[in-house]
Amino acid sequence: MKMLPLSVKNLTRKPGRTAALTLLTAFLALSVFGGSVVVLSLRAGLQSLEARLGADIILVPSEAQSKVSFQNMFLQGTTGAFYMDSSVQEKAMEVPGVEKVAPQTFLASLKADCCSIKIQVIGIDPARDFTVQPWIARSLTGELGDMDVAVGCKVEAEIGEIIRIYEQRCKVVARLEATGTGLDTAVYCNMNTMNTLLAAAEAKGISHKIASGDDSVISAVYVKVKDGVDIDRVNSALTGHLRKVTAVRTRSMITGVSDSLAGISRTVTVMIVVIWVLALIILLLVYLMIVRERAREFAVLRLVGASRSMLSRMALLESALCGLTGGIAGVALAAIGIFSFSALIESSLGLPYLTPAFSTMLALAAGAVLLSAAVSALASAFAARRLSRVNPGTALREGN
Amino acid sequence: MRKTIVPGGVMLLLSLVISIGSVTFLGPCVHDDGSVGACWWAGRALLGLGCLLAVISALVLLSPRARFGAYLSGLAVCALGALTPGTLIALCRMSSMRCRAVMQPAMILLFAAAGLTSLTGALLCAKEERKGKE
Repeated sequence: MKMLPLSVKNLTRKPGRTAALTLLTAFLALSVFGGSVVVLSLRAGLQSLEARLGADIILVPSEAQSKVSFQNMFLQGTTGAFYMDSSVQEKAMEVPGVEKVAPQTFLASLKADCCSIKIQVIGIDPARDFTVQPWIARSLTGELGDMDVAVGCKVEAEIGEIIRIYEQRCKVVARLEATGTGLDTAVYCNMNTMNTLLAAAEAKGISHKIASGDDSVISAVYVKVKDGVDIDRVNSALTGHLRKVTAVRTRSMITGVSDSLAGISRTVTVMIVVIWVLALIILLLVYLMIVRERAREFAVLRLVGASRSMLSRMALLESALCGLTGGIAGVALAAIGIFSFSALIESSLGLPYLTPAFSTMLALAAGAVLLSAAVSALASAFAARRLSRVNPGTALREGN
Repeated sequence: MRKTIVPGGVMLLLSLVISIGSVTFLGPCVHDDGSVGACWWAGRALLGLGCLLAVISALVLLSPRARFGAYLSGLAVCALGALTPGTLIALCRMSSMRCRAVMQPAMILLFAAAGLTSLTGALLCAKEERKGKE
């Protein structure tokens, strides 16, 4: 007797029962795959944030003080424009323990320039930058020339396309790799381009001048501390040495994100465990009910010569088939939902979110499908044992 | 006969979600200053296509003679609908914005589901017609 065709026939003959079991296992696969992808994406986002920050300390004007809004610039891509005297970078270099500094200038585009929200434009000094430049270099082989811009992966602009910022024509020369952070929504240019854009913004009535009236302005200075030097001590020294400047330790930003991530990971894990325990109990109960329902069917099979082990294997195969089908359906549903709405998930969580590599996703999907099939077969093991031991005489008499 | 109507009912339901969604919970970006962007026009086009799909679904339910043709035209409308946000009509430039994060994926999925339903309906109609001839 061929086992597989018989099992498939048994399943298709009772579509309601099969659909219910498949749906239940689909739910299991959906929860484990969906939950794992979200947690892994958050972890990858945090690692990316750590790599992208690169600096130990960030100096910003005191007016920018609120660390939260500065953090939001990195995490959610909210725009921010604050300025300080460019001499801050030289003064910062005077502080013992500082290895190198890199200035950045921020400018928020006008709504009408590009789309319906403002885009953060970040001016960097390619020769000195050690935070953004290595990331740009991965997508751009040449120099970031004057009026050239590199766009984050969430800015929908093609390479070679001209985008207008404050009526200035800027050529897109690179699209950067995803970082899962707010940096993906920004546009990067060199300091000459930034000065042109600042002048254009000035002409439109958006002033970037600081109280001193100095035209040479920057928004932030990224500081790298020498190896072996206490970062907190340098941080305090910078705060004392520089007036109207706030020194923010990047570690404190990452710790905040890391704490949120740990909280979300815990919640997701608890939810997955609860769903699995509940589903497992339901599966066990369903299979126990099936024992009663199918006792006569198995009794007849025993009478026509099917061995106990054959019946047991058949019951296990049926449940594994249900688990496999449900697992594939659940993973497919989760994948459609997660990949289609990844931008929405990211903005709702407000944390760095970077989808893992395709190979990781494939391994996760295969794992979720196999786990669903295995759990389904395991839940039916007891029922399969009872069904295989059914007494044909008693079962057929009880049915009458 | 009854089997060929069921996909029409599902299509009607989906077309109502598309039509109502395109101006409410699945709509384009909302601007504080009342201005409209490219995505607003995509939203209007989706509203029109959703209404058209609803009319086609009604035709499926009400006219058995036009059923097969209505399913095929529904399929064409669904293909058009799935291509409208982002491909045929531009959306905002930032993928984190509402029109790209919510409207585009939701509408593509809804039109894909309606298209599959439409295809199923057309296949059922063709099967029934073949049976009738035999």
